[in-house]
Amino acid sequence: MTAGRTKQFGAGGPLVYCLALVVVALTLGPVLYGALGGFRSNEQLASDPAGLPDPWVFDNYTDVVTNADFWRYALNSTVIALITTFVAVLAGVMAAYPLARYRFRMREPLFMVFVLGLLFPAAVAIIPLFILITHDLHMANSWWGVALPQAAFALPMTVVILRPFLMAMPQELEEAALIDGASRIGIFWRLALPLSMPALVTVGVLAFVASWNAYLLPLLLLQDDMRTLPLGVADYSTEHSADTAGVLAFTTIAMIPALVLFLAMQRRIVGGLQGAVKG
Amino acid sequence: MPPSRPRTRRGELTVTHPGVAPATPAQDEGVARREDMRRAIPRPIGGRGRQRLEIAMFVSPALILMGVFVAWPIVSAVRMSFYRWKGFGPMDDFVGLNNYRLVLQDEVFTDAVMHNLTIVVASILVQLPLGLGLALLLNRRIKGRGLLRTIVFVPYVVAEVIAGVIWFQLLQPEYGVVDSLIEAVGLTPPEQGFLGTPSLALPTVFVVLTWKYLGLAVLLFLAGLQNVPDELFEAAQLDGASWWQAQRRVAIPLLGPTIRTWLFLSMIGSIQLFDMVWVLTGGGPANATTTMATYLVNQGTERHNYGIAGAASVVLFVVGFVLALFYQVFILRRDTVQER
Amino acid sequence: MRSKTRSAALAVLCAGALVLAAACGSDSDSSDAGGETTITWWHNSNNEPGKGFYEQAAKDFEADHPGVKIEISAMAHEDMVAKLAAAFQSGDVPDIYMERGGGELADHVEAGLVRDISDDASDEIAKIGGSVAGWQVDGKTYALPFSLGVVGFWYNTEMFDQAGITTTPTTMAELEDDIATLKDAGMTPLSVGAGDKWPAAHYWYQAALRECPEDVLKDAVTSLDFSDPCFVAAGDAVEELLATDPFNKGFLSTPAQEGATSASGLLATGKVAMEMQGHWEPGVMQGLTDDGKGLGDKTGWFPFPAIDGGQGDPTAQLGGGDAWAVSEDAPDVAVDFVKYLLSDDLQKGFAENNMGLPTNSAASGSVADPALADLLKVRDSSPYIQLYFDTAFGESVGGAMNDEIALLFAGQASPQDVVDATQQAADQEG
Repeated sequence: MTAGRTKQFGAGGPLVYCLALVVVALTLGPVLYGALGGFRSNEQLASDPAGLPDPWVFDNYTDVVTNADFWRYALNSTVIALITTFVAVLAGVMAAYPLARYRFRMREPLFMVFVLGLLFPAAVAIIPLFILITHDLHMANSWWGVALPQAAFALPMTVVILRPFLMAMPQELEEAALIDGASRIGIFWRLALPLSMPALVTVGVLAFVASWNAYLLPLLLLQDDMRTLPLGVADYSTEHSADTAGVLAFTTIAMIPALVLFLAMQRRIVGGLQGAVKG
Repeated sequence: MPPSRPRTRRGELTVTHPGVAPATPAQDEGVARREDMRRAIPRPIGGRGRQRLEIAMFVSPALILMGVFVAWPIVSAVRMSFYRWKGFGPMDDFVGLNNYRLVLQDEVFTDAVMHNLTIVVASILVQLPLGLGLALLLNRRIKGRGLLRTIVFVPYVVAEVIAGVIWFQLLQPEYGVVDSLIEAVGLTPPEQGFLGTPSLALPTVFVVLTWKYLGLAVLLFLAGLQNVPDELFEAAQLDGASWWQAQRRVAIPLLGPTIRTWLFLSMIGSIQLFDMVWVLTGGGPANATTTMATYLVNQGTERHNYGIAGAASVVLFVVGFVLALFYQVFILRRDTVQER
Repeated sequence: MRSKTRSAALAVLCAGALVLAAACGSDSDSSDAGGETTITWWHNSNNEPGKGFYEQAAKDFEADHPGVKIEISAMAHEDMVAKLAAAFQSGDVPDIYMERGGGELADHVEAGLVRDISDDASDEIAKIGGSVAGWQVDGKTYALPFSLGVVGFWYNTEMFDQAGITTTPTTMAELEDDIATLKDAGMTPLSVGAGDKWPAAHYWYQAALRECPEDVLKDAVTSLDFSDPCFVAAGDAVEELLATDPFNKGFLSTPAQEGATSASGLLATGKVAMEMQGHWEPGVMQGLTDDGKGLGDKTGWFPFPAIDGGQGDPTAQLGGGDAWAVSEDAPDVAVDFVKYLLSDDLQKGFAENNMGLPTNSAASGSVADPALADLLKVRDSSPYIQLYFDTAFGESVGGAMNDEIALLFAGQASPQDVVDATQQAADQEG
């Protein structure tokens, strides 16, 4: 990103732009198809799934946004995603800190525990997990009942991303703080946390988006008023016995918040993933 | 110095796994930085006891969460795998290793393992070059680069359920957009549709996966590329290297650690593949797209063979573990050896 | 009531694991606080008119039985299935709930969760007749079916007219002729949601029903022995039908009833001439068209035709439905309420509100829809109704059987393979 590079080096010729266009078409095509499909009636979809809206039907979208259930689901999705993100990021950075900055015998084995955690798909343990949450913890059909396990499954990735980031923190800063009489805990709060903000944003956004899009666990745990948007989609499709156009409108609106968040933070995410502190 | 190792693919992180990303541990930014890191671990203050206490305090919330919501359910799954259990009533019909025998002798399961491995390999062969190419392209100073980068990430952010619903519509035999396009250029789409023809279903699922997850690879590689100092490119340019030569000789070799990170994530994702398959094909047609995860969910939730599902989960974990070990020994070691 | 009996893909997903779902919050203790008896009742009629109809029924019953209070939980079908599974898991079963019968019921009986009502409801059982068989285990009755339908071919009468078909087929040979006629007229004869497996499996079930004598089938349900050659013959018959290539393109991945391009959607929008489905089909089709009418008055129905040389009864029908069951530790008055639900008046109201196909013959005349009335006639005149095999054998055996039949449709399994896979799963049942 330095300005020093000469113009022509690395700039694009026509071929590059053509290539970019193809990529854009392939990438956005399906998403646009979904969004446009929401402007068609089911009959239009059935008679010519490949066509454009003709005439444009706005009912599908207005039906969705005037549907009280939709807002209820959106609230649930938001709260659950926020709790998941908060818990995963906080617990994650706390765990990553000693793994990065302390020297102790169990350090690598402990880190391996998190790496191993990456190997477990939630699907593997979904049934016992379900029984645990409903029967033992009595947290079925609650925000926390979904958010806590989601945060737990998000932890390995969070720790794996944060640790190298914290490792790269310049030692001089820490030494200076120690000389000033700061405790290690003080260093964590006042130095490590602020300095690792870019990485925290990264893991936070990733955790938020994953929670927003999660399907299987909420499906098992949430009913009625507690459902989240992806379940609402499924619900919408069974209840309306396949109102495809309505489902497309619903899905289009449901993906907007995650998209906006991710795209707004996109530059920071790339930055956060570099595993280095700037400055 | 080029990333001489095989390349692997990206992955879908399953369900509740937050999506994720990259670890890019310590980029090769130079030996100097690494030296710093080694020294960076300060001496404990206030003696061992105090340090232990601090470590325990920092790590325990994460460990408790993982213990309760990850480890315990897995232990239960293991226990379940030794019983025949229908989901209600006491779990008292101990069958020893019988469930494992059933799983390993079930052709549907062994095929599912092959499907997972196929996706692992296909990802390396297809998504790595594609993702790398795109990242290099997006790292060029072309007009609209910011917008382009944004667009490439869009599919990655879309929920699997939503992406699945949309692609299912696009791939409808006869009436779908894809078939219409193929007919428009004068070709004949497959009689039973892309998802309905057993021999085409897995490749089709793979194409959709590539669409969905290429953004993750690009995201990672872009982050890695930002660590390549501009001076190196400038030096290459002064030496008369073309843009492409500069990428091949400078950028790609320096991306080694990032690529290896992606390999790992991709591999794990491929092994755990579930959501997209479930939404698109449910494992069909004719079991052509079953994966280990769809097999175990099917056995558990649809057939109420919870013991068999438990055994399948254990096998899934073992396969993933073996691959991870393999990766650790043959690929990652290069990084760790250098680092520590 | 639609497809309630057989849930579509999502529902199935729900169903399973999930199934263990929602355990909490199901306080089904029947308490006798203050001399009052409380009965908990779960049902899936959560829309009007069904919801209000059942509320009124409960009120009327409470008025006649002082001291009895009925606590109703009306839930969406998938939610109910999920909560029920959780309830069975924990042993906290509501006093009155819906049973689908077959192997699932047998498991519940074995776990001691459901009450034997053979004696308490003997009059009602006699009145319902043969239909109750799917809810019997070892000769004892555990639930009273209140809605029961049969599977047959739904067809587009207009397309049949256009193709010049004037009478519906009564033998497989005639059906195959009609398929050829429809194809010649440029139409797709049949749609099938083989992506969901069970719609494809229904063809095999129907064929088995025609090929196998009643006692062989009855025996298979209890002994899980599929060695009779008629089961292989059933697969042969399905293969023969498949050879005429009658189905919609991409049928291997077509869903049963989700969306306009599902098997039901194709029939509802006039893209195919026929689909073999259960009694819920008109309701499903209504949901798949913008005008909410489905095929409307173009809807026709005929039963599965006879197969030449088959040893089965050509008038026997494949079907299934829902029944009220009473949990093991429910108060006695819960049984009285179930009997009340099966009374002439209640079943008539049930039929008039289009909530299903009543099992009490006194209510048969109250079914207004002409195609459904045809179906009801066939149901009532059939010597016996075979419960869907997957339900009858239970999820484990039924699931294995359905998977293998789907393979048969894909041309990747032989009729013998279907029998072998089913037998193998059955042997695991021990």
